Amino acid sequence: MRTKQPMHKRFQRGLVKRIKNTGLFIKRLWSHKQGKVGLILVSFLILVAIFAPIIAPYNPYDVSERTTKGLAPSAKHLLGTTINTGQDIFSMLVYGTRVSLIVGVTSGVCIAFVGSVFGVMAGYLGGFVDTLIMRIVDIMLVIPTLPLVIVLTNVLGRDFWIIILIFVALGWTGLARTIRSLVLVLKNSNYVKAAELAGASRWHVMIRHILPGTSHLVIMSTALSSAGIMVAEAGLSFLGLGDPTAISWGKMLADAQSGGALLFGAWWWILAPGIGIFLAVFSFMRLGIVMEEIANPRMKQTSSVYKIFKSLDGSYIEDVFNSMDDDQKLGIPETARQGGKTHGTHLEA
Amino acid sequence: MKYTYVIKRILYSLFVFAVVITLNFFIPRIGVDDPAERYYPPQGNMSEIEYEIIKQVTRQQYGFHVSTGQQYMNYLKGLFQGDLGTSFRPGSPAVIDLILERLPWTLVLSVSTMLIGVTIGILFGVLAAVKRGRWQDTMLLNASTIMVALPAFFIALILSFYLGFELEIFPAYTDSTMVSGFTWTWEGIRRVAQNAALPVLSMVVGSIISYAQGTRNAVIAVTNEDFVLTARAKGLKQSTIRYKHILRNSMLPIVTSLGMSISGLIGGQVVIEQVFNWNGMGTLFLEANNSNDYPLMMGIMLLLSGFTIFAILVTDLVYVLLDPRVTVGDKR
Amino acid sequence: MAKRLMLLILVSIIIIPLVGCESPGHSYRPDENTLYVGSVQTSFPSAYMPWLSREGIAPTIAGMLYDSLFVYDEDSGNYLPAIGREWYYVDEDGEPILTEDGSIDYARLEEIYGDPEQEFLAVKVIIHDTITWSDGEPLTVEDIYYSFDIATNNQLSNHAGALAWTSDLRHKYTNGVLTQQGLFTYDHGAARQGYEIPMEDKDTVIYLHVNKVLGSVTPLFTSVLILPEHVWKPVVTRESQLNSTSPNEEILYHYSHPVGSGRWVLDAEESGSQQIILHRRKDYHRTKEDGSPLIGIDTIKYVLYQEINVAIYALLKGHIDVLSSSVSSNYLRLFENEDDLFVSNAPGQFTQTLVFNLNPVSSERNPMRDLLQNRDFRKAMALAINQEELIARVLDGAGLPASAGLMSASLEEFYNPAADSLPADYSTRIEEANAILDSIVPEKDGDGYRLLGDQRISFQILGSPGEQDVISFLQIQLQKIGIEVKYAAKGTQPESTYLYTSRFDMTLHGVTFSLSNVDIMYPAHFQTLGRTSNYGRLVNEELNNGIHEMRFTLDLNTKYDLIKRIQPMIAEEYYKVPLYTPNVISVARTDRFEGFRVVEGATVMNTESLENLRKTKGGR
Repeated sequence: MRTKQPMHKRFQRGLVKRIKNTGLFIKRLWSHKQGKVGLILVSFLILVAIFAPIIAPYNPYDVSERTTKGLAPSAKHLLGTTINTGQDIFSMLVYGTRVSLIVGVTSGVCIAFVGSVFGVMAGYLGGFVDTLIMRIVDIMLVIPTLPLVIVLTNVLGRDFWIIILIFVALGWTGLARTIRSLVLVLKNSNYVKAAELAGASRWHVMIRHILPGTSHLVIMSTALSSAGIMVAEAGLSFLGLGDPTAISWGKMLADAQSGGALLFGAWWWILAPGIGIFLAVFSFMRLGIVMEEIANPRMKQTSSVYKIFKSLDGSYIEDVFNSMDDDQKLGIPETARQGGKTHGTHLEA
Repeated sequence: MKYTYVIKRILYSLFVFAVVITLNFFIPRIGVDDPAERYYPPQGNMSEIEYEIIKQVTRQQYGFHVSTGQQYMNYLKGLFQGDLGTSFRPGSPAVIDLILERLPWTLVLSVSTMLIGVTIGILFGVLAAVKRGRWQDTMLLNASTIMVALPAFFIALILSFYLGFELEIFPAYTDSTMVSGFTWTWEGIRRVAQNAALPVLSMVVGSIISYAQGTRNAVIAVTNEDFVLTARAKGLKQSTIRYKHILRNSMLPIVTSLGMSISGLIGGQVVIEQVFNWNGMGTLFLEANNSNDYPLMMGIMLLLSGFTIFAILVTDLVYVLLDPRVTVGDKR
Repeated sequence: MAKRLMLLILVSIIIIPLVGCESPGHSYRPDENTLYVGSVQTSFPSAYMPWLSREGIAPTIAGMLYDSLFVYDEDSGNYLPAIGREWYYVDEDGEPILTEDGSIDYARLEEIYGDPEQEFLAVKVIIHDTITWSDGEPLTVEDIYYSFDIATNNQLSNHAGALAWTSDLRHKYTNGVLTQQGLFTYDHGAARQGYEIPMEDKDTVIYLHVNKVLGSVTPLFTSVLILPEHVWKPVVTRESQLNSTSPNEEILYHYSHPVGSGRWVLDAEESGSQQIILHRRKDYHRTKEDGSPLIGIDTIKYVLYQEINVAIYALLKGHIDVLSSSVSSNYLRLFENEDDLFVSNAPGQFTQTLVFNLNPVSSERNPMRDLLQNRDFRKAMALAINQEELIARVLDGAGLPASAGLMSASLEEFYNPAADSLPADYSTRIEEANAILDSIVPEKDGDGYRLLGDQRISFQILGSPGEQDVISFLQIQLQKIGIEVKYAAKGTQPESTYLYTSRFDMTLHGVTFSLSNVDIMYPAHFQTLGRTSNYGRLVNEELNNGIHEMRFTLDLNTKYDLIKRIQPMIAEEYYKVPLYTPNVISVARTDRFEGFRVVEGATVMNTESLENLRKTKGGR
């Protein structure tokens, strides 16, 4: 039995270890062929978001910097100006990165947190807690996502943070379910059993043993959920139901359509935010897939569907459903897919 | 043995439905003091007394003059009779009528997309599986990767712009006479097809690629299965193996995914319908949202949820009842 | 395998051309006598309840199918004949109170009715005797009686708005029983009341008792659409009301086949939720002076569009003749280069104002809002607002500055220039504003904003998302005097969540003051506290007295003078500060019809245009 080290020393050691691990992790991402691409793109986007005021020639939030409406692309305005307000489109594109990234990443992280907590609780504690959580998951699965989001924004308001809250509230279910499946397996592993026998409390086991075992899933799901939420947010803003004060790519598309870009022939106004959305989602998805492959290299070899046919317990049917949706286009292995299924399906079409 | 499962499953679905109904009823009542105000918002040129009269009248009209509990009971009663409530629209049409009016149009898009997506998708998927590792396969994978990141409404906007405005091949916006002037004649159907072309095109690309990828994975998985090896060992013809064994067995997961996607059929098209101004349930929902028409919104939500529950239940049961390999252990 | 693929591709190749391209010869405006009008709405009504809601196209169509007694003319303040031919205030014997030259003798009116014991004004209306309903039945005063009567009987009419229109009519029902009679015709007790109606006039004369306010006749004359008694009386009961939410078959039939006395008749068979077809009534009772029909076209077809861009696209492509919905000034550029377009850039009547919360309830008071209670502080803010700039930047010039008295300057007889006493030059105004504020809150922070204590003075302006633009420009303008303002979302129910509970600093509010509505609007906006448009809860004794006097005076000339006097009082409160009056921009094609007219406050689809339209020479 180790002697308990003073608190701050343990903390220091833990921190150093984590930093080292993160560094290793990033290195591995980099060495993966596609991981490189994903990493570069994500870093690029993050940089654009952080340095937006420097990169963008105008500040779209500043009214005094507006000029003639509806200008075509020129040297002064790389992508022209909007028809309805006279803002510089290129600057809006740059600032839009901030909104998309903040909404996506924040929601992704929160979903990861909430989903893993509930998943672990459901899987490990079993019984009533399990039933309760899974029933809630079932019910939320059944209500169509986009209409529910719309109703909730109507009732609760369209504030930036409320929207993030709504996304998180609706998005944790997929991850919870996946984590739970994994936890059911981990529950029976040796080291967990050993810890239990040694008299560790249930909370202790959950936090120190089980949760870390799911870490690869959680991390990967963060990336994938973020991607999915970004699409969802774009869709929501496009319908005009997002935060009206925030400049986001979805809103740019909405403004383009309602401002008559199609009528005026201003195709650049439509293309630019679309490409923005595409880049952001694509890079995060790449990252997520690659992370998964790194964490579970074995999974790369076997097709997931094969594994599905193998596992014949009662819940596989839902697994089959989940695995056959959009994420499958990427050939993502089964468990990874569960994590990635956030809003992709319902909102994509 | 299987039948107890079936019954349990049905009961469970009913339970979920009941919870959904309740949620459906209470969500719009969050943060509403007086539903009458939502419908007949006060006008500046009305005196206090007049406004009170008006509110009373409106409340009675919409059944808000009783307690919430009583309203809930009334709501349930109405549901059993197939009455989804009265919309706040001028003329107070019944919610169910509004929905039924628009539903066929949404189905036109959904079913077309699904049919085309499934048929062409499966074809391409099999092709990719057969040519595994070759350029067809990689191309599919690349397409899949790209399609996930490209929202369908963006594709819709681009198509609407180029094919609609610039080249004028298809109408960029749905012509409203498509619905009003609709007859079961060649002309009427042609009009519908014309207007449906772009929306379906926007959705079908993603659909094809999705089904293609799914089929490809399923086929490859099945190909690795034991029974295929056995079939090969038995010396069956390649084509027989392909059609009878591989394809048919990989169909089951595809079918189940079809079942799941049916729920996405109706609700998921909201944005596309918006882009093209297509008069389906998606635009109906958005209209209801814009005018704070709660009965209509909740009516649509309830219908969609109910439909989803039904679809899941059916696919679940179909799978269980049909697949001989499935042994029904405890559900979770 | 490959065979199947080939087959599929073949099939698709065959199908697509069949389905595909737009046939070039497709004609969207096939009938040469029909005016195709595009309207942007969520939907068209499929059933026409007699008194329709205020939403969408319903009131417009109702106004075309039905007539009211009179039509109010803003310029002259007179009531022009529609169903009614003449009207008078009468004394207790039913004799018109007129001067020698036939106009209303207000002096005598005051004399007779000035006595507080006298509870009502008596009005006599004479209608045309040549009017028939669209089903051929003659229109008589019994229809007028029926319409007003049922409006006041909520058990049968079930229409909240009708109650509001008839609120000044002294004819009341309580629980379905007539408790006070205020309408009198030959068959309904005129003689008993002391009004002699000769037998030959029994179908054309009706007497009304109204509250003693000059404006009480306005909604009765202009808002109530007259309904046919012979159609509705047999079918309306307590169980199936006039405006029933679940109509039975009979009532539903009448909803979809409306019988009116207006200029147009609804083509019930062809109309539906996506289009409305109206045919001109050939036997309409009024004609032009030379006897020719008032309207030059035979049919109007309204086509539904759900989005303005779609409608504009349709107009440009020639699918419709007229776009009856107004468009934003951004589109003016698009119309510049098109031939065959008539662009109506008409002065508007609706004024956008900035409203201050100057008297919040005690729980909503805070030191920042207390500043707003200082009239000079508000004056400074009013000075800093540059209407010209707002019009130029937000409206692209398609608008006019509004008077601080909030009355339209085009109503020359009633507009009081004394209400606009602030300097015209903007830099002078800024100087003056800064001078005022320097004496109230002289300290500023590093960014140039004034401080209250050590807090930056900052206010939130409630607005809808479309109003962010205006508020952004107000930000810049108010920054010049060191005040910070920010946009805050209004939410879905601004009135009950913020405005009635005084939970706001400032908000944008659109107002339309005209002669016909001042009786209702002035109290609602400036006088009454509670659930009215007096969001900032202004309480000004002098103004209240002025408004009271204006409403209850029985002399029209005095009334107009008082309206003039009130305007500077309103202006000097700096309570609802005007921002601009946007123009109403709408477009029509001139390739088939010409003669569109620009009417203030209206789109190109207005009554004057309809009366003036003729087919073009080269039209299809």
